[in-house]
Amino acid sequence: MAATFIATHNLEILLDHLRQHGDLYGPVRGDDGAVRFAPLLPGTAPDLAALRTLLPAKKYLLHPCETILNFTADAGYQLPIEVVSPSILFGLHPCDLAGISYLDQLFLGDEPDPLYAARRSSLTLIGISCTPDDYCTCYRTPSPLAAQSDLFLQSVDGGFVVTSGSPRGDELVESVKNILVECDLSVPEDTRRFFCAPLSQRHLPETDETDPEWQELADGCLGCGACSVCCPTCACFDVLEFGGLDDVSALRVRRWDNCLFKSHSQVAGGVSFCKDRAERFRYRYRHKYRGFGALEGVPACVGCGRCRVVCPAGLDLRPLAERLDGGAP
Amino acid sequence: MKRLRLAIAGLTACSGCQLSLLNCEDELPELLNQCEFSFFPLACSPAELAGEYDAALVEGCLSMPHERELLLELRRRSRYLIAVGTCAVWGGVAAIRNGEDRGELRRQVYGQNAVACEMSEPAPLRNVVTVDADIAGCPPEKEELLRLLTGLSRGALPVTVDYSVCTECRMRENLCLLTERSELCLGPLTLGGCRARCPSLSVPCEGCRGPVPEANLKEAVEIYAQKGFDLKVVLGRLHRFWPGWNQ
Repeated sequence: MAATFIATHNLEILLDHLRQHGDLYGPVRGDDGAVRFAPLLPGTAPDLAALRTLLPAKKYLLHPCETILNFTADAGYQLPIEVVSPSILFGLHPCDLAGISYLDQLFLGDEPDPLYAARRSSLTLIGISCTPDDYCTCYRTPSPLAAQSDLFLQSVDGGFVVTSGSPRGDELVESVKNILVECDLSVPEDTRRFFCAPLSQRHLPETDETDPEWQELADGCLGCGACSVCCPTCACFDVLEFGGLDDVSALRVRRWDNCLFKSHSQVAGGVSFCKDRAERFRYRYRHKYRGFGALEGVPACVGCGRCRVVCPAGLDLRPLAERLDGGAP
Repeated sequence: MKRLRLAIAGLTACSGCQLSLLNCEDELPELLNQCEFSFFPLACSPAELAGEYDAALVEGCLSMPHERELLLELRRRSRYLIAVGTCAVWGGVAAIRNGEDRGELRRQVYGQNAVACEMSEPAPLRNVVTVDADIAGCPPEKEELLRLLTGLSRGALPVTVDYSVCTECRMRENLCLLTERSELCLGPLTLGGCRARCPSLSVPCEGCRGPVPEANLKEAVEIYAQKGFDLKVVLGRLHRFWPGWNQ
């Protein structure tokens, strides 16, 4: 079939070109051996063999702790002024892309979040194909989330097949035409096929709180929060307000939260709607695998495997989820 | 706005927590618009207790009779009493004794001249008085102290985190020293709020901020055992800042 091809040896030229369009970020292996999304400065090669970064790309859209409002006596509450420069995220896997599409639904829905919206509109997403490992679960349960990018690179012999997914992608293709070759190639399937699945309309019965497996998970859980910090779709946050030194100003901040923390389910008066960890696991399952609120019925797990890789206790919610959901939707 | 009338005192400790406040050199001049350090023996002399205080910030644990009297007096005179630092909250380093008899230890350290040294088992403040809020840390983070004071001046008690050091360590995208390097990092059991200061410099967490709420010692001990650390070593490390850890 007709395809647009870029040879591996031309990738650095493509990256150089992308740098002219904005700040370029991609997966980089650090001196400690860990892979993180980081600036792809000239001379820094992206680690295209790595399957997952420690933190997902959500860190570019939602910061772990950030000011969302500034208060002054004169002006009242004001949005923070943030200079957002065009950025390009290179080397996103389909699950990373699906994670961003989930966050888009959360933060660009009825009431768009201004900080998120500004950062998101400045991002160009460049996806790349991957081969799942034992921690990946994208292929087990197809996700209804879209794995969309501006450009996508599918690995083939000697290089990549380049496809555009947006007008911005078309422009980029047009501007690097000199290193692209139009040719006939057989293009293998990639993991994008596990996304954009039709939304299941099944009605699942309420979960059984007496199921001993909730307690088994709770007994093993250290409460470290790694599972949600590293999850591409976990976006729950806490909101705090701090008074300034000057007596009148204040900052309102939001900070990443985790549904397994005690305070997450605490409400006014010290009352908690999830009093112990077993209940919190049930809550986590309901949110991650069944969805609620505006995203009722939309499973949030994109199968990236980060939660399983980073859990110090090796906990995995998925086998229980798969049993409760009765397999693929 | 009325300035906050503060009493800041140290019991058995190294004064490091009070020094952390004094080290906020850039913020102190502005802070003085909101706070009045009415009793602060470490910083201003002469220091005499007088009148009532909006809040008392107390560093250190209780180990001597006069400290108990001072603490009770501060409690009587203050609307809020805040335990500042791990010694005040948990007993801290002064409470270490590796399970040995305190009387015997006293004889070893002070010999037969121990008569003047009248002391009891070092205890956290809450064993003796009602404590309105805890700020853990050895010492607490500067930001925590400033937020405590700016909050109090607005009539609010501090909001402290209830998650472990690991949470902020992950937020900072550090390589996990426990799972990836098999080091005895106490992060999973230790209260966060320090932005994972030590693990971010590849130094395992020593547990200086005391236990995190709902700490899962049983599971952590199993993980440490898998990494080759036996219970005695783990508990020995944990007891450095809180002698109450028990399997």
